[in-house]
Amino acid sequence: MQRVLIADDELPARERLGRLLAELGGRELAGECGAGDEAVRLAGELRPDVVLLDVRMPGMSGLEAARHMALLPAPPAVIFTTAYDEYAVEAFEAEAVDYLLKPVRAERLATALERATRVAASKLERVAGVGWAQAIRTHVAARLRDTVKLIPIREIYYFSADQKYTTVRHVGGTDLIEDSLRSLEEELATLFVRVHRNALVNVQQLAAIERDGDGQYEVVLRDIGERLRVSRRLAGELRGHLGI
Amino acid sequence: MRDSSARLRLPDFCSGPAAVAVILIVVLTAVVLSLARQTELLVLWVDLARTALFLLWIGLGCTAVLCAMRTRLEALPIPEAAMLAVGAIVVVVSAVSAAALWLGSSEFIGSLADSLLFPSRPWRFLVTNMAIGAIVGALALRYFYVLGEWQRNVELQARARVHSLQARIRPHFLYNSMNTIAALTRTDPSLAEEAVQDLADLFRANLSDLRGSITLREELQVARIYQRIEQLRLGERLQVVWNLSELPMHAQVPSLLLQPLLENAIYHGIEPQRNGGVVTVDGSLEGDMIGLTVTNPLAEDGQLGHAGHRLALANIRERMELMYQGRASVDAGPSGSEYIVRLRFPAGL
Repeated sequence: MQRVLIADDELPARERLGRLLAELGGRELAGECGAGDEAVRLAGELRPDVVLLDVRMPGMSGLEAARHMALLPAPPAVIFTTAYDEYAVEAFEAEAVDYLLKPVRAERLATALERATRVAASKLERVAGVGWAQAIRTHVAARLRDTVKLIPIREIYYFSADQKYTTVRHVGGTDLIEDSLRSLEEELATLFVRVHRNALVNVQQLAAIERDGDGQYEVVLRDIGERLRVSRRLAGELRGHLGI
Repeated sequence: MRDSSARLRLPDFCSGPAAVAVILIVVLTAVVLSLARQTELLVLWVDLARTALFLLWIGLGCTAVLCAMRTRLEALPIPEAAMLAVGAIVVVVSAVSAAALWLGSSEFIGSLADSLLFPSRPWRFLVTNMAIGAIVGALALRYFYVLGEWQRNVELQARARVHSLQARIRPHFLYNSMNTIAALTRTDPSLAEEAVQDLADLFRANLSDLRGSITLREELQVARIYQRIEQLRLGERLQVVWNLSELPMHAQVPSLLLQPLLENAIYHGIEPQRNGGVVTVDGSLEGDMIGLTVTNPLAEDGQLGHAGHRLALANIRERMELMYQGRASVDAGPSGSEYIVRLRFPAGL
């Protein structure tokens, strides 16, 4: 029995997909939700085989949700549902993750579900990347034992990196993520600033630059008061951000 | 929008067509002057030839000067620009006249030519020419100005028409509505029937010619129909508050004035919010000016820079400009946690 999660912010749309599933037979409705971040959470908790994912949703776009789902230990197959075909739908097709145009036809849904096998995470990630230019990500995801934890970007104080891992320090604590500091810096260029080879800080959190006893520059974070070392080279740039 | 229309828009005198038009005006003026002065046919021809030759220098001189002054003229308000342009024409006329006088009085040419070719009374010649130059120059500028305004109006109409085609209801709205109706046909067939009727009415209004005007009452009906359909889809997430009791319902407005604003408010302000929000439509009457304000919560999807949003606003602005000609205004922008669009236009035309 194929277990299906439905994510769409419109109740009538969810009802209709649920009914179509029931009529097709051989599928079970694992759950439903109306927001992108909830979809990621439920995908981890309920471990559906397939997610029917609306592209435009509050909380987080379907495209971003698919990218985070790729981090799950057993990522579900994702079928995008959308009313607009302006999202490079051909590209989705080329990557073998399906998309359905609303109103969805029962036959199309049946074909898509039959084709939907568990898709390799890398593939899902590539597909989600197609729509990336239009959808700035709102969360980073930390891989936990059998689910992913979503951390809203605006709740993050800073990222720091050692040899292997990137650590996120955020309102809810500290987590390890797999994104590299370099890719985060590129993607979040307007929100975060590099203070050192191994640290990327939320611009909103920059309170002051000070020198410690040894003449080393340090940046003081606004909300948590923590101090991070600043490289000499980046100190000037950082002053620009602080307006001093 | 008032600002941009109050400029003296003249043709590009640096271009061929404008120069040809100037030459035509100059030659016709020469014909008129010669006809008025001479009665004998033979003398008329000689007079026409020398007048035309003289005026051609003036015409080409004016073209060159106006070409050089073009950007400066366009930066000035209309009265100043017109004065400056006529002044420039008079200066060119005086310069060419002075040159003709000098040529006629110089010994070499003056002795060759007979009195018919060159003027004999210098001061009268100069003053008469300046007067004629000022009058003909002002008439010609007026002609170019009216022609330019007319062309601009034609362009504006054409552009408004194109934009009105582009700014029709977003396609995704149609597909989403169809999806809702498909769901309702099983769960609530009579509601589905109503939705189909509403959708038909909405598209009838949307596919009609947008250059026309309708009463405010009709426009509000279209907006409410639109709200009903969105309500089915978004449920409790969408709340619309209407405060319109003050408005004169018989006032004429461009069709599809309010509906696109409501569509923007819902698309950018309500749909991205998990728990939805409230869209407020306020109407006010101050003197004979109607004010319409649409307010929606500001979401983080960049309503400000969104192409569809800007297009809808530009479209409404253009159609209001066509209908009210500078007496209407459209303001839009964020204010705290809200996004506000304000329209102001006359209640009676």
